[in-house]
Amino acid sequence: MSEDTPGIPDSPTQIGVDQWVERSDENIERRRGLAGRIGRLWERLPPAGKLAFLTPAILVPFLPFVSEGNLFNYGLFILIYALLALGLNIVVGFAGLLDLGYVAFFGFGAYTYAFLSGTHHDKGHVYTHHWDASWSILAAVLICALLGLFLGSSSRRLLGDYLAIVTLFFGQAFVVFTNAADPYGITNGSNGLANVDPLTFFGFTIDTTRGYYWFLLGCVVVVLIVLYCISESRTGRAWKASREDPLAAEMMGMPVNRLKIMAFSLGAAIAGLAGSVFAAAQTGAFPQNFSTQVLILIYAVVILGGTGSLTGMIVGAIAIIASNQVLDSTSPPNVGRVLFYAALIAAVYFTMRGSWARLVAAFAGTVAFGLVVHAIVDAVWSRGTAGQVTSGGFLTGLIRNWVLLPANPGRLAVYGYLLMIVCIIALVQLKGWWRLVVLVPTLYLTAFVWENLLVQQPAVTRYVLFGALLIAVMTIRPQGLFGTAKVEIG
Amino acid sequence: MNPEFRQRLGNLSGLAVALILWMFYAVYFSPTQGWTFFLQLTVNGIILGSVYALIALGYSMVYGILKLLNFAHGDVYMIGSFIGFGVLTLLGGPLNPAIPVALLVLCMFVVAMLGSGFLGLAIERFAYRPLRDAPRIAPLISALGVAFFLENSALLLFGAQFRNYDGFDLISYNGIHLGGANGVFIQYLGVIVIVGAFLLMFALLALVHWTRLGKAMRAVSFDREAAAMMGIEPDRVIAATFFIGSALAGAAGVMFGLLFSQIYHLMGFLAGLKGFTAAVVGGIGSIPGAMLGGLLVGLVESWARGYLNGNVSDLVVFGILIGVMLVRPSGLLGTPALKKV
Amino acid sequence: MRKYLVAAVLAATVAVLATAAFGSTKSPARQSSAGAATVTCGKTRTIGLAAPFTGPAADIGNQQVRWAKYYVKTWNAKKANKNKQIKVVDGDTQLGVDTAFAVKVAKSFASNSKLLGVVGPAGSQEVVASTSAYKGGGLGFVSGSATRTTLTDGHTDGNRRGYFFRVVPNDDAQAPVVANWMTKKLKWKRVYIIDDQETYSQGLATSVGKILGGRGVKVTHDSISQTDSDFSSKIAKIPGNTQGIYIPWQLAPQAQAFGQQLKAAGKGNIKLFGSDGLFAPGVWKIAGSYDSAFPYNPTDPAVKKYISAHHGNGEFFGLPSYVAAQVVVGAVTKACADGKATRAEVRKDIAKTKLKNSILGFPVSFASTGEMHAPATFGVFQIQSNGSFKRIG
Repeated sequence: MSEDTPGIPDSPTQIGVDQWVERSDENIERRRGLAGRIGRLWERLPPAGKLAFLTPAILVPFLPFVSEGNLFNYGLFILIYALLALGLNIVVGFAGLLDLGYVAFFGFGAYTYAFLSGTHHDKGHVYTHHWDASWSILAAVLICALLGLFLGSSSRRLLGDYLAIVTLFFGQAFVVFTNAADPYGITNGSNGLANVDPLTFFGFTIDTTRGYYWFLLGCVVVVLIVLYCISESRTGRAWKASREDPLAAEMMGMPVNRLKIMAFSLGAAIAGLAGSVFAAAQTGAFPQNFSTQVLILIYAVVILGGTGSLTGMIVGAIAIIASNQVLDSTSPPNVGRVLFYAALIAAVYFTMRGSWARLVAAFAGTVAFGLVVHAIVDAVWSRGTAGQVTSGGFLTGLIRNWVLLPANPGRLAVYGYLLMIVCIIALVQLKGWWRLVVLVPTLYLTAFVWENLLVQQPAVTRYVLFGALLIAVMTIRPQGLFGTAKVEIG
Repeated sequence: MNPEFRQRLGNLSGLAVALILWMFYAVYFSPTQGWTFFLQLTVNGIILGSVYALIALGYSMVYGILKLLNFAHGDVYMIGSFIGFGVLTLLGGPLNPAIPVALLVLCMFVVAMLGSGFLGLAIERFAYRPLRDAPRIAPLISALGVAFFLENSALLLFGAQFRNYDGFDLISYNGIHLGGANGVFIQYLGVIVIVGAFLLMFALLALVHWTRLGKAMRAVSFDREAAAMMGIEPDRVIAATFFIGSALAGAAGVMFGLLFSQIYHLMGFLAGLKGFTAAVVGGIGSIPGAMLGGLLVGLVESWARGYLNGNVSDLVVFGILIGVMLVRPSGLLGTPALKKV
Repeated sequence: MRKYLVAAVLAATVAVLATAAFGSTKSPARQSSAGAATVTCGKTRTIGLAAPFTGPAADIGNQQVRWAKYYVKTWNAKKANKNKQIKVVDGDTQLGVDTAFAVKVAKSFASNSKLLGVVGPAGSQEVVASTSAYKGGGLGFVSGSATRTTLTDGHTDGNRRGYFFRVVPNDDAQAPVVANWMTKKLKWKRVYIIDDQETYSQGLATSVGKILGGRGVKVTHDSISQTDSDFSSKIAKIPGNTQGIYIPWQLAPQAQAFGQQLKAAGKGNIKLFGSDGLFAPGVWKIAGSYDSAFPYNPTDPAVKKYISAHHGNGEFFGLPSYVAAQVVVGAVTKACADGKATRAEVRKDIAKTKLKNSILGFPVSFASTGEMHAPATFGVFQIQSNGSFKRIG
């Protein structure tokens, strides 16, 4: 690992004191305050307790009063991504390998299920297999496990970033497969497979969103338990050992290559399971369902949750998928807005290094600043405040009297956006009270940009914020929410 | 003769043999035969390859110095392309430019390179510098975040519609005929791109080999800690690397726009991937390697487009990438690294 | 410890199967009653608009959005409709990213109890993917651009009759128009066909190629992808004596880039022939090129007003979505005549739609398959030297 992280220690290293001891003060300091206390309490909980905490966390938002659409959009997708993240976590978190073709396993699972449990005809071939879901899911899982074995065996020769590229290529190969198997009508090319049966187990059929939700929840719980067992077993420990130092692990007699292949295979099998349920719930499998964007979402879940942590995957899935969905044009007004301003205040709190007094000062300053600017512009250039509030809900009055809303924002909003980014850059470079002085107009500018540009294109904004979130999480807490900070031997 | 040099020589001669064999096959035995067609594709490939080489350089430099796959590099290139387009539009558009064409093109390059360069600086400062000592996967994810952020910011600011540079309208549809009217044809624009790309690459080589900054860059990429102890400030050197690499990507963006006309907010992803492939094929971390790799990727892509029906060029390019990585993981001109296990 | 865990896994598996059985209470009643719930109409009626607001197809998607919203805005502004306001709920399907978004949109539309009908979705694959969600919710949906022929045949991609309607002619109607024009008017003998590997494009390329081949035209087939920008090597392959290149693509700037590179390679004398996806005056402006596109009535005041409001850019790809909105709003209003409506009623009223005159230039009514009755066909346009599209047939 030495060539990877040749960090330059700020303080001179004492001879005879290893880095963990040296950093222990720093580690304790990092977890001060309320957050630290809760974090420590959480770490002390036994795994069963963590699970007991988490289950309601997944369940509560989806009690029966939730509409079918929301259950599908939030519930099902959270669970599917939780499954996918759990699978990817084996490869990335436990075994420490970067797998950028993971989404292909998801796709192979979905296609296998769709092919075995459904009817489709294309190019003169008719395939009418209506297998029971218990068999087709099993087949999907096995096929994916085999493919994982195959892909994993390429990791014998390749390391690190090169492995990442080979797996990325595997992901591309999946796309080719969906088109190449077309002449035989197996995948139906870019049209994908429609007419897929709902899940049918021994005569019982699941065809409601609620049914899928419960079924998936069960799957997640089973996979969680299995993975917990594995991670605590000899194999799990061997994975972690080979992740930390493959050479040392090999020397200790661990079959490092076989371990890597196992990780790939198991991760792939779980993705296959997720894929087959996804195909059934969507009643189809289409090539686009398995694009790079999906891969990025899965990675975001794993990373935000914290690589190597099982609970983290669940929390990550909830956070990522829910925020992805809330910031959608179809969600009710003000949900996204409130979330945005809350995140803004949290960000300010962090930049103020956790000082409440400064936060209040900044907040009051911004409010006053906004009122003054609004009054001046209103007097000088009345068109500058003549615009409409977009989906303001009960906040309409407040926003109209505080934020500048030009009648025709267009260019102005674009320049505002650029200026905002420049201001944020300036903000990071400044120190002390100057920071507060720049902060106030920056905050106001951010509100201006949100109201005039971002709120009108929620679906794009979602990804912009998502990108910013990824960067922020990585800078503030690279090990994710639930990961444990690793000791890097420099 | 040291073993490293011998290996490189072996790689290069192997490559030369493969190219010559391929050439004879393509000219005499392939379904679409003939020298003219082969040479035309080769010329097209060199033009495309010089754009890829510029992108690959940024990848390779950053990887060499930080061991970081900068996923956002492709998007810096995209932004550069949009900046060039902005300058073009501001100064009258391709059909009736407000200032002389040569000056206009120069303006586009300079502004795009400066803009992308500063963007690269900002990215480094925000997304990578805080993660210098974090686990390896952290900056990768941060890079993904930057890529996402840039792509969607571009969508927000410029809209989803593709833009057309219409570079041939701006410069000229004419070109040089080699070997008669039915021979090989190179547009003047293609000549400008090749010459421009090579000038930039040689300027970079000169900078790396003959200036203090270049020396510092080599030192930091060799061993950051030791360089720091010798009085080099790694942060400044890294920032300079990002600036230069991103500026080259910006230039590549403008070239791409001029040549192939259409630019859009997602253009960076695939171009970034190709640039990375080029860097790996050439030997990541090596500057002449990135240039060679870029040219090779461009050539392979062009030949695949010409000789194979359908759209499998990407597949061929990535297939070659995997082959190279399995047989020569350190690329054609890279330094064979000592690997554990 | 291990024993406990094995027991736990077993218990959980049993629980999964049990909940599966629990969740599977087969409810035929729910299926057949889909769309039977009564909605009180009141002053505001809600319809859904499923289109790619973002993603790679956002450009043409937003054209659809603007046209559809233009209709709703005009409708809402009419004095007579003061008490029949239409509210549009947006759904971003992100065409080209992931069909799962289209399904998500469909699911949330289906579960929005106020929503009565849907305009969209845009892509044929989105229609296929989201059909079961719309059917489950009993919603009728009218697409302004899904042209795949098999959508309405009732079996190949699933059956959606009675739910799905489209206000565009299908690909089978387009291919003969193109082929006839090439062979009869232009007398082409050597044609090069390049698809962009998307379903839409491949379908058209195959059908046109088949007809041309049957008439003794020498056809060569090739493909590019939507992410390609460098066509120089493909162009090098095209023989100099080719008379025309058929490019049924969806991205007009790509066609513009292709035309430019064709000219730069000294093959500017070969004519291009595009499809409806390329109908973008001012973007694709290679003079002399042909294009087959949805017909429209350029003299209609609504069209003229739209064009002048958008600085001369007609954004005609989105034009049929105006008609789709017209159909849905009309059906909703009709169903709401008695103060309340059901989705099933709206569906029936969509099926019974009769627009005597539409901005498409012909009357609109639907067959039982969901297709428009004749004379729904395509027009042929030629690009003029000033970049405008002139209808020539």
